[in-house]
Amino acid sequence: MSKKIVEAAGRRLSLSNLNKDLYPSYGFTKAHVLEYYRRIADSILPHLKDRALTLKRYPDGTEKDFFFEKRCPVHRPAWVKTAKVIHNEGPMTVCLVNDLETLIWVENLASLELHVPLAKAGSPETPDSIVFDLDPGDKANILDCAKVALILRDLLLQMQLESYAKTSGKKGLHVYVPLNRKEATFEDTKRFSKAVAEVLQRNYPEIVTAKMAKESRIKKVFINWSQNDSAKTMICIYSLRAREKPTVSFPLEWEELEILTRQRDPEKLLIMHSEAVSRVGKNGDLFQEVLTKEQKMPHYL
Amino acid sequence: MSGRTLWKGYIQFGNINVPVKLHTAVKEDRIQFHLLHKRDHVKLHQQMICAYEKVPVPAEEWAKGFELEDRKYILIDPAELEQAGPEDGRMIEVHEFVKTAQIDPIFLERMYYLEPDTTLKGYNALAGALKETGTAGICTWTMRRRSYLGALQINGKVLCLSTLRYADEVIAVKSLELQKAPVSEKELKIASDLISQLSASFQPQKFENEHQKKLQALIDKKARGEKITVLRPRHLKPTAPDKLLEVLEASMKKVA
Amino acid sequence: MALQEIWNGTVSFSLVAIPVKLVRAVETGRVSFRMLHRKDYSPLARRMYCPKEEKLVPPDEIVRGYEITPDKYIVITEKELESVSPERSRTIEILEFIDIKDVAPVYYDHPYYLVPSKGGEKAYRLLVEVMRRTNKAGLAKFVLREREYLVAVKSTDGALSLITLHYSGEILPDEDLLSKVGTTRSREEKIESEEKSRMKKIIKEMTADFNPDKYADERRKKIMKLLEKKAKDKGTVEAPEIEEEVEEGVVDLVAVLEESMRKVKEHR
Repeated sequence: MSKKIVEAAGRRLSLSNLNKDLYPSYGFTKAHVLEYYRRIADSILPHLKDRALTLKRYPDGTEKDFFFEKRCPVHRPAWVKTAKVIHNEGPMTVCLVNDLETLIWVENLASLELHVPLAKAGSPETPDSIVFDLDPGDKANILDCAKVALILRDLLLQMQLESYAKTSGKKGLHVYVPLNRKEATFEDTKRFSKAVAEVLQRNYPEIVTAKMAKESRIKKVFINWSQNDSAKTMICIYSLRAREKPTVSFPLEWEELEILTRQRDPEKLLIMHSEAVSRVGKNGDLFQEVLTKEQKMPHYL
Repeated sequence: MSGRTLWKGYIQFGNINVPVKLHTAVKEDRIQFHLLHKRDHVKLHQQMICAYEKVPVPAEEWAKGFELEDRKYILIDPAELEQAGPEDGRMIEVHEFVKTAQIDPIFLERMYYLEPDTTLKGYNALAGALKETGTAGICTWTMRRRSYLGALQINGKVLCLSTLRYADEVIAVKSLELQKAPVSEKELKIASDLISQLSASFQPQKFENEHQKKLQALIDKKARGEKITVLRPRHLKPTAPDKLLEVLEASMKKVA
Repeated sequence: MALQEIWNGTVSFSLVAIPVKLVRAVETGRVSFRMLHRKDYSPLARRMYCPKEEKLVPPDEIVRGYEITPDKYIVITEKELESVSPERSRTIEILEFIDIKDVAPVYYDHPYYLVPSKGGEKAYRLLVEVMRRTNKAGLAKFVLREREYLVAVKSTDGALSLITLHYSGEILPDEDLLSKVGTTRSREEKIESEEKSRMKKIIKEMTADFNPDKYADERRKKIMKLLEKKAKDKGTVEAPEIEEEVEEGVVDLVAVLEESMRKVKEHR
């Protein structure tokens, strides 16, 4: 086992298995993973901050078994910030990735994918945004998701709601509607997103479904509204995905999405680690407003 | 065909009696819209809603009230109201005659045709007399338990009766509080010339309700599921006061 | 007294454009009554009601529809209505000037006043004065709400009045009347002529200046008297006070979404 001691923000960290190929068919080692997260840290950390992290660990790489870890590992360093959250089985201690050293520590655990809830640990019932998880069914692809996302954006704009899109890093797109007002509950956002999904299904039945069942999703985009739930998590923006290649969940400007939709090349909607780092260096965090923009959900009966 | 007979009576002044029948003279032709619920296009009904209970109230629970002050009403029985109405008469009583040009059209409310009843005697004579004197008879009458003020006039060879608005129903121009703005004789002269250049005889049949036709076309288009292009209304740039003379002169050049 | 503006736009003739507002010229003098709920004397208000959902429908959920076949409607939006005659919805363009005396009273429908908007005072005054001197009226067409009106713009007591006119197609023909009147058998001609002379004499005696102030609505007076008596005899009733409702943006989500969706589709 190769070990290396590094210093991050004055903390000493022991990193292990740096040469382990976590994306074997692509050739991307743990050292690469750590390097990616170090370089993207400034952008990803605000999105992880104060949120109960769910680790999705791939100790033997993306082609082998993984496991979810919601509890913060007990062997954690003393400086890792944690929070107590109420879970089905009772109170639970979770990790909060609020700084670079925690991020590096978490990645040393081969937690390639970082999943976080829509609410902060301190206010677990009030989501900071509404999310629409657009998932292509069989025979549909990310371009279909993009088409639906653009309609969704227009619909939300009619209600004076700005929205922001990111790739899931896999096959789908996620559309976020920032609220940041601590007034709507998950019950509210779920009801809203469900109604939106159903309206889109009614108006565009040939490409949209709001139903989970696999058979109703063939050739269609499933708008998964049920993600608006305190028990659910979303892949964090800028997180790597555990696929053959190190792709990233990455923000796209609407204009870019419009252009890519016209170009009809689904591959262009897959952002790789290197591209992610260079684009963030150039454009900064396109998802910054998701954390700060205050918007009011339309009230309803 | 002129409309059906609404009422019968006599025009009366001095010792003159002219029997007439009243007909409607105008029939409006308009595209009718219905109010629908946006979501499912169910046709909506009008209902009387209690301001307090916020529920629809059926007709048998209505009462008629005259509002004296906020929330204070005098109740009134519709039958009593009926009693207050004047007895229906048969007389169109002419009180005086005025030069037709003196009646500003602002007073004119609704016009009826008068048809000679039983005999032509008198009708033609009255028509001729009104025409030759250029006058209209100011008269009152009662029909359907309402009293009317009207002007008896001649239209071609046909006698007509226009109902007139009461003086206190016409808003006085002075209440508009119009500002004075001096105009020069030169401007008046050129504007006057311009207007005579633009003058024509009144030919109402030249004007059709084109809008109604276009609206019907739009409806047909929508019914076929075609896309409608929404056009923006045209706004004209007002003429600046200091450019008025210049613009008048330019207009004059254009028409001359 | 500031009169409520019904419409605003421009009156134009040739190259002159005058910014104006349209205001009422008449208000009914009829005694108006309120319908009350017999139970508690609270006033009743007309509201649109959905018979299917059995509930009141707020104005923002109401659309205008044209019935093409029974119970099948084409929805027409305000914008579409306005765009039917876009050149006329904001402009009263005087096409020609006519002699007022040529307009038969049957054409007059409803009067309004035009008042000048800021900057239009001088041109307005000029038009008022010229039309007063020439006894002319401007003929124009303009669209108010969903209707196109043929209108006469004229000078009235130092103001511009706008009177909507009936289209000639709306005037019922008087041919059958004409066939009855005006013709006199020769042996009655003399009698008729004498009658006419007699009438003319009376008319001349009875001619005065038009003074509508002399006439009052007799019925209105009687009703007011009746109301006074009722108030003395029976007193008044009082309606309960209505609490101001705080309807903090309560809307129907699905309706909002469907409406938003409709707009999205319009723009796509």
